[in-house]
Amino acid sequence: MGNETILTVEDLGVTIDDVQILHGVSFTLRKGEALAVLGPNGAGKTVLFRALLGLLPYTGTVRWQPGVEIGYVPQRFSIDPSAPITAMEFFLLQSPNFWRPGAEFIAHLDHELNLMGLNRGVLRKSLGELSGGETQRLLMAWAMLRHPGVLLLDEPTAAVDAGFEETVYAVLHRVQQERGTALLLISHDINVVYRYAQRVLCLNKTVVCQGPPVEALNPAALATLYGEAGFYQHEHGHEH
Amino acid sequence: MHSTYHASFWIALLVGIASGSVGPFILLRRMALVGDALSHVALPGIALALVYGLDPFYGVVVFLIASAFLIYWLEGRSRVPPDAIVGLLFTASLAIGILIIPNGDIIESLFGAFPVLSLPYLLAILLLAAVLAALCFVLARRFLFLIVSPDLAKVHGVDRRYDLALLLIFSMIVALGIKLVGTLLMGALTIIPASIAKNVSHSMRRYVITSAILGGAISVAGVWVAESFRFLPGPAIVLLGVALFVLSLPLARRRAA
Repeated sequence: MGNETILTVEDLGVTIDDVQILHGVSFTLRKGEALAVLGPNGAGKTVLFRALLGLLPYTGTVRWQPGVEIGYVPQRFSIDPSAPITAMEFFLLQSPNFWRPGAEFIAHLDHELNLMGLNRGVLRKSLGELSGGETQRLLMAWAMLRHPGVLLLDEPTAAVDAGFEETVYAVLHRVQQERGTALLLISHDINVVYRYAQRVLCLNKTVVCQGPPVEALNPAALATLYGEAGFYQHEHGHEH
Repeated sequence: MHSTYHASFWIALLVGIASGSVGPFILLRRMALVGDALSHVALPGIALALVYGLDPFYGVVVFLIASAFLIYWLEGRSRVPPDAIVGLLFTASLAIGILIIPNGDIIESLFGAFPVLSLPYLLAILLLAAVLAALCFVLARRFLFLIVSPDLAKVHGVDRRYDLALLLIFSMIVALGIKLVGTLLMGALTIIPASIAKNVSHSMRRYVITSAILGGAISVAGVWVAESFRFLPGPAIVLLGVALFVLSLPLARRRAA
């Protein structure tokens, strides 16, 4: 893990329709680091991502390392299931040549698909035919296609089968190690945070705690974040 | 060589192809109704041009381009339901147009006619239609990006200006076809080939190509039918297209099954 800073956020605030969603959020993300964003529903995790990506107006500072390539895996995307758009064409959105993709692009695409446990056959399916798990893996392969310097993942395992969840995190871990990709991931699963994240950012409208998981996630911080009931549930590692 | 019929044939072919090329993007953006109604806005443009003794085409272009900007602006504001406003405004334009247009020109303005054009004028229309169709193919990736996910598109540097580009291309194609097909039906010509092609296409690339071919074929066939049976070209083209759409429905069901 290098000391190069990929992202610096200072005093970030987001207000939507006069409702304050986030305020006073400050943190940094370093090259090759995995930072998990943890927080209850409605804490503003997805809003934070959207602000970082410039999809929402915000106050404060968001500073990306100049020229850094950003990969974004949204929680879901809604597309008319009858739209005749193949998975291949979804990838071709990133190709300079949409109508006649080069052999190099296809070979590279194969590689990223394999990484996510998908085979070429999936490319012929239309986006509407894909299962929730396939869509999620496809979105991840899509985001990793250009080997971004940083990946923003909004609950990457929300729709995949329980058995595949481990694979997803193993792949992310590998990408982090081999390519030095920084990961910023939203997760509900505290076990995942402990296992894969070097640092955690607890968010509930503002930053409740941050630091290495073992230090930051002390009982007091978790109680503030989730309330007592939520804390015990997470402590036992239940799926929910 | 350059008779009204030949001119209509070439306009039908190229404007039909252009309509078919832009249609899939309008349809997938769920703007079929807005697109259909957009052509009605041309009517007050025709009316004003006639009142001031100008070529109606200029009135049409000005009004359609203005509505493209209006739709784009409305879409950017989440608080306003664009379809309701567009529906009201476009119907109002129709009403205003009908009141102003001289009686003798109403039918032609609404349903189109075999146009009488000078050769340079005709060539300009054909060239513009070809350029607009080509633009749909060149910009297809960006248009599709915004349809699939505006968020991902923005992260990858494809912003909403391409939505405006799509609306402007669409408006210009509608403007080119209005003389032949008429203000009431021209919007439909952009939607029909795309609706048929959607029923028989599995991929986006085939979808756009099929729709473009169908647009040209339906329009040319419509002009031929209209010429042979002395119909107005607009209704002939649209009815032919609708008939083909009905025939394509079983194919859509088979694909979905």
